[in-house]
This record gives sequence, structure tokens and C-alpha cells, in this order.
Amino acid sequence: MWARAVTTRARCTCLHAAEFRSHMYFFLQIALSGIATGAIYGLIAVGYSLTYVTTKALNFALGMWVMLGGMLTYSLDVQYGLNPLIVLPIVMAALFLLGLVAERFSVLPFLRAGSDVWVMSTLAVGFLMIDFAEIVWGRNPTPVPPFLGKDPIYLGPVTILPQQLLIIAAACVTFISLDFFYRKTLLGKAFRAVAHSSDVSSLMGINTRRVEALSYAVAAALAGIAGFLVVPLTLAEPQMGTVLGLKAFAIAIIAGLAAPRGILVCGLVYGTFEGLVSGYLYTGIRDILGFTIMIAVLYLRPEGIFGRRQEERA
Amino acid sequence: MRGAEAITLALVIGAMAAMPLVVGGTYYTYLGIIVFIYGIVAIGLNILSGYAGQFSLGHAALMAMGAYTTALLTKTLAAFPFFAQTGLHIWLGIVCGTIIAALFGIVLAIPALRVRGPYLAMVTIAFGWVVWKILQEWVSVTGGDLGISSIPKPQIGALRLGTPQFYYVVLALFLAALATQYRLINSHFGMQVRAIKHSEIAVASVGIDVYRLKVVVFAISAAFAGFGGTLFAHQQNYINPDSFQFFSSVFFLLAVLFGGAGTMLGPVIGAAVLTLLPEMLHDFDKYRLIVYGCLILLTLYFLPRGVMGLAARTARFEESRRDQATRSIEALTTLPRTSGAELQIEGLSRSFGGLVALSDVSFRIAGGSIHALIGPNGAGKTTLINIVSGVYRADAGRVIVDGLEAKIGSIHAAARQGIVRTFQTLKMFGDMTVIEHVLIGMARHARVNLWDATVRSRRYREQTDRQLREARNLLSLIGISHLEQVPATDLAYGHRRLVEIARALAVHPRILLLDEPAAGLVAEEIRALATVIRKLKDVGMTLVLVEHHMELVLSVSDRITVLDHGAVIADGIPSDIRRDERVIAAYLGPSHVAA
Repeated sequence: MWARAVTTRARCTCLHAAEFRSHMYFFLQIALSGIATGAIYGLIAVGYSLTYVTTKALNFALGMWVMLGGMLTYSLDVQYGLNPLIVLPIVMAALFLLGLVAERFSVLPFLRAGSDVWVMSTLAVGFLMIDFAEIVWGRNPTPVPPFLGKDPIYLGPVTILPQQLLIIAAACVTFISLDFFYRKTLLGKAFRAVAHSSDVSSLMGINTRRVEALSYAVAAALAGIAGFLVVPLTLAEPQMGTVLGLKAFAIAIIAGLAAPRGILVCGLVYGTFEGLVSGYLYTGIRDILGFTIMIAVLYLRPEGIFGRRQEERA
Repeated sequence: MRGAEAITLALVIGAMAAMPLVVGGTYYTYLGIIVFIYGIVAIGLNILSGYAGQFSLGHAALMAMGAYTTALLTKTLAAFPFFAQTGLHIWLGIVCGTIIAALFGIVLAIPALRVRGPYLAMVTIAFGWVVWKILQEWVSVTGGDLGISSIPKPQIGALRLGTPQFYYVVLALFLAALATQYRLINSHFGMQVRAIKHSEIAVASVGIDVYRLKVVVFAISAAFAGFGGTLFAHQQNYINPDSFQFFSSVFFLLAVLFGGAGTMLGPVIGAAVLTLLPEMLHDFDKYRLIVYGCLILLTLYFLPRGVMGLAARTARFEESRRDQATRSIEALTTLPRTSGAELQIEGLSRSFGGLVALSDVSFRIAGGSIHALIGPNGAGKTTLINIVSGVYRADAGRVIVDGLEAKIGSIHAAARQGIVRTFQTLKMFGDMTVIEHVLIGMARHARVNLWDATVRSRRYREQTDRQLREARNLLSLIGISHLEQVPATDLAYGHRRLVEIARALAVHPRILLLDEPAAGLVAEEIRALATVIRKLKDVGMTLVLVEHHMELVLSVSDRITVLDHGAVIADGIPSDIRRDERVIAAYLGPSHVAA
């Protein structure tokens, strides 16, 4: 009798363990795809940070730039059949150049005025892009095949799409190179100097104008990478970047615009959070929770989680 | 208002009133109603963004609050015969919707107004997004994407209003909204609101709680948006989340910028153009974003102050222009006696990161004296002033005023305890006039509320008269009466310094902190400054003077404290300080001592 009781209990534990394991797998599964989404958010969000630290302004419509990157990828990859490895540098270069142009016409004229109207001017450029994309590519969402095939990769019991893996890998590479650029190269150091104090940098012989313009170009190129990476997962359509850009902005703000590493962390956490909310609750409540938490965080820490409080000078 | 303007206004109102009669068909009447409704929302946003300088990209959500509140309430109440017969539910819905929107405006403002620039934009966007999503998801209440239909038609008594009748109701409400904006902005409240846009820290320095003031402005702005929303719901009889998404918020901000942010009629012009433009363009929907995008860019490039910015006069505190001729007769050129407080600094320390700005500083400033605080650059003088005036918190130590420890948690708290300051780098209110600067300084003594200001009650008028007299008195004491109506942007540097002092005096300080008042002044102006400082001492005020100009310091001070590297190195009467070896060493280097 004792023996039977013991075996029953053993079977129970065994059953619980199995159930627990399947819960665990489910959790890991959604967390993993959440990390991929988070990496995209992080990539875009760092773009906001780049320009904010150098100019105290930013390209408010970076999401539309992501869209442009995605649509270009669609054209080159699907319509012209180019290899993705060739597509990526073209997309980056195109957005880089466009970033320079847009900075010249939609940011620079308003920077010196000391007002916040760049919010509107960069948004206006974003609007132009959306309608431009609708005219060129049409409104219908079109699929772009994943660059590494569609078959999920099995990591033990958890699967991941090759595209998601690519996103995570590419985001890692981008972040490490960006960090390297910031800390080790002369131009990167100039960026940091301008971020610290534009006036002093300019006295030290740094061409602050060039650094400012370049920061917008680099941010645009990053958006291009994000668009390139994400378009096989979403669909190519003119509205694909709007929400992405908005959420990335929220993440940059929560982390603190001046803290690029914190932004990456927040991006990954937010992506995972979204995955978990969609997985365990339901998708409809995802953004409601996300944005409410964002407002609450800003209330408690107006300078962002990783931002440093700046005291107003009298 | 001048005659020509009054006639123009009467003509425009007449034209608007005649429009439904002249133009056939209800379509244009309907468009007119929509223009008025959007105009009301834009007026609200203009008060916030145009006058107070706080961007909001979430106003469509506040409009939604009003619309959904009245829709749900009136649909419920319409079932009762009492309401169906009297039509009271409509007006109750409009009032409730407006109030709910104002309350949500406060809820949004509390986190939003702690942050600035892109952070503020993000909070308002996030709020708009959350509201929009909730409208979509909370199907049992809001009807989800399908929205709410058959919202009761507007009615007065048992009479149901058709489009032409409702047109006149909305026109009247629209004009009332316009008049309210005019009254609010041209009042003592409006002056403070306009000042926030230029320098929050200076507004705080006269004892105004800036954060609270901004929240109030946000609530007023939200009330306008909600009010517009309620009218929108009853006009359309059908609402869904689509009307209140992010793009609508952008639309309103664009209307304000295009028409002219911070002008009386700008937002209305903007709302009218942006509403009617799509009607005139064929295929508009296809190119909507291009049209709006180009419009934004062109406006920002070529009309940075908007269409009305070209013509409109700057808002002014209207009463301040009255009785200018008589001012020299009324001027008394004396100040009431002040009981200057004694200020004791005890063990004050403060560091910034690794840099020690002040370490264990203690000294005493006698009530009613002129006490100078000097020292080389980086000695900690400005940090000390900043702590005493509530800009920074001290790491350790106490500030004691008349024997009681002062609780200085913020700039306005310091000002309310009678500790008022001026700024080394001038903090003026942009192009506001000299007398407006001084009148803002009196805000702490105001005993009227927003209602008084809107209806111009007797109490309000009496207070205004009193404050104008005092402001003119102050200006003539400082010697700048002739500049009363000059915008601060047009003033010479030395005069700006004097305006700052006049503004600080308007607060009735017991301790006045002057942070390098002589910086940038020429010899003659410094002499005038010395005269003013002595006059203030004569009425009993305590003055703390942080200054580099030694001639001024030695000639006016009763006592001098010398700081170096964050510590007190000397404290005494001017003649002693002049000979103090440590002071000479700190200023000129040790080799000059005893030379």
C-alpha cells in the first residue's frame, strides 16, 4: 500500500514536471521571439539617441525611415532579385544619404531657433515618405521571403525562425560596431565630445556641424538596417514602420535618450514583455499596458531609467 | 479693441451668421459646424501650445473623452421621458463630457508636465495611443471599432435641432470659446501662462508654483478639447475610434502652427483652412499626407509664426495700457517699509559629482543690511545663492531665516518665504513688456481666481488697479518708468537688469539676492544700481550681493563674506576685507601678499 502511494506520487510529480516543462517551453518560445522583436526596437531606438545627444533634437519619424528601408529591400530583393548581402549595403547607403539631406532641410533650419518645431518638421518628412511609398509601391501589403529560408530551427524543444536568429545576430553586430565606433575611433570620440558640449567641442576644433549631420545620417542608416531585417517578418507596406518607430521612441524615452546601452536593454526587455503579454494575456491589451507603464516610468524617473538627472542651471 | 477691428469682427460674424441662408443645401452648413468644432479644440490646444509653449500630440484623445462621455450618458438618459421631453440630457452630456476631459487632462498633465521636449511629445502620444486602443478593445462599453451609433440629436426643450439650427448654436458656442480665450490670455493668469513659455525658472522665482500652473493650463486646454468632442458626437450622431487617432492630434497641432501659435485667431484660421482644403482638392485622400506634410514644412519655413503671426498684435495685459498719462502723478517713489529678515547659513555643503562646490559654510547676514558675497570664479558663490533660493538642494546644512529653519524645497517655496533673487544670466519673459514683468512679480499677492478673470469681476478690476499703481511706483523708484510699455527684447542690457530687480521687488522680498547685478553694466549704470540698492536698504530690506565689481561692493556693503574653493576665508567689514592677506592671496596669488 505504501509502495502504491509512493508510485502514485511519483507519477504525479512526473506529470507536474511535464506540465511545468511545457509551460517553460512555451515561456521560452515567446520570450525568444520577443527578444528578436526587442532587437529591432533597440536598433531603431538607438537612432533616436544618436541624434538626440548631438543636437537635442531627433528625427521624430524614424519609423517611416524603417519603412523606406523595408520597401527598398522589397524592391531590390524581390523585384530585382538581388542577393540580400548586396541589398543591405545599398539600403544603408541610400538611407544614409537621404538622412544627410533630410537633416539639412528638416532639422538644421529649426535647431538654432531653440524651439521644438523639429517634432513637426521631421514628422512632415515622414508623412511625405508614406504617401510617396503608397504612390511608388501601392498600398497592398506584399510578403518578402526570409533571407535564410522559412524552416524553423530547433533549439531543443524550442524553435526559432532563421530570420529571427538573423535579426538577433545582426543587431548584436551593429551594436558592437557602434560601441566600438563610439569608444575607439576618432570620429566616434568627436560624437561623444559634441554630445557632452557642442560649444566646447567646436572650440577644440571639432567640426560640430559635420558631427550633427552625420548623426542623422547614421540614425537613418540604422533605421535602414532595421527595415531590411524586419520586412520579411511583417509585410512590405507603407504603414509598416509607423508603430515600430513609435514604440522604439517610447523605449528610447523610457531608457533615457542619452543612454544607448540602456536603450538596448530596454528594447530587449520591452520586446520580451510584448511577447509575454500577447502569449499569456491577449494582444489587444499589449500596447495599452506598454504605454501606460511608459507614462508611469517617466512620472517616477523623468530622465528615463538609465538617464542621469540634469539640474537646471540658474 | 479699436474701431476698425470691431467693424471687421462684426462683419465676419455677420457673414458667418448669414452663410447658411445664402449658400443652398446643408452640406456647407455641416462643414461650417465641423470648422467651428475643430476651431474650439484648436483654441484649447493654442492656449497650451501657443501661449504656454507646451506641445501636446494627444489632444484627439481628450476630444474622444468628451465625445464618448456624452454619447454614453445621453443614450442612457434618453430612455427617460423627462429628458426626452426637456432635452436636458444633451446639455448635461456636454457639461459632463467637458468636465471628464478636463479631469483626464489633469491625469495626463501630472506625468506629462514633469518632462520637456521629446519626452513631453512622447507622453502625450502614448496617452493618445492608450485611449485609442481602449476605445477599440473595451467593446462592451465603447462598441469597439464599430463605435457608438444613434447618439441623440441636439435638442432645445422638445425641439430637435436640424443642421441649420445647430449651426447657430455651435456658432454661438464657438464665439464664446473665442471670447473666453481672449479674456483668459489678457488677464493676470494669461500673463503668467505666457511667461512660462519664456522662462519657467523666472516664473518660479516670483513664488508661482510653475508645475501647478501648467497642470491648470493643461486642464483648461483639455476642457476645450472635450467640449469640442461633445459637440462633435451630437453633430455626427455616430462616433468611432478612427476619428480620434494619432493623426487627428497631429491635425490639431498643425492647425495651430499653420494659423499662428500664440495668436487669438490663428488656431481658428488653421482649423478652417485644414478642414476646407480637403473639400477643394479632388482625390484628396490619396495625397492627404503629402498635402499635410508640405503644408507643415512650408509653414515652418515661410510662416514660422503662422498666418496670423504676420498681422496679429502680441497679446498684452490689456489693463496695463490704461491711464498711462496719469502715471507720473500717481507715482509715489517710495516703498513700504520692509522688515528685512536675518539670514543664517549653517554648515552648508554641496558637491557636484566629485567637485566640492561648498563645504561646511557658515556665516550670518544681519537683517536690513547689505551683505556682499565675493570670491574668485568657482568659489561657490552662485551655488550658495542657488541653495538659498531653492534652485539646488544642499547635501548638508541649514538655512535659518529670523531664527527659524527655512524649508526651501523649491524656487517658489523660497520666494513665498520672502527670499527672492535675480539671475546672473538674465531670465526675461521674451517680448513681454516691462510692466508685465513687474505685474507677474505680484502674482503671489493675487486674490482673484480664474472666474474673476474671465468675467472681469469687480474684485478683479480693483486688484488690477491696485497692482498697476504699485507696479508703476516700483518702476519709477528704479528709474525706468519711461520704459513701461517697452517689450523686454527691445531693452538695453542695463535696463534688463533693472527690470529683473523690479520684478523681484514686486514679490515683496524680505531678503533680496542679487546675483552679479553689475555684470555687463557701464559705470553710469552701476552708479544708478548703487543708488537703488541703498534705497532698498533704507526701507529695511536685507540685501545679499554676489558681485565681482569691487568698487560697487566696497561702496555699498555693510559686511563682506569671502568664499574660496567652497569655504569661507574671510568675513568682516569692507575696510578689513580689503587688507585681509588671505583674500588678496585668493584673488591675486600668494606672491602678492605683503607686497
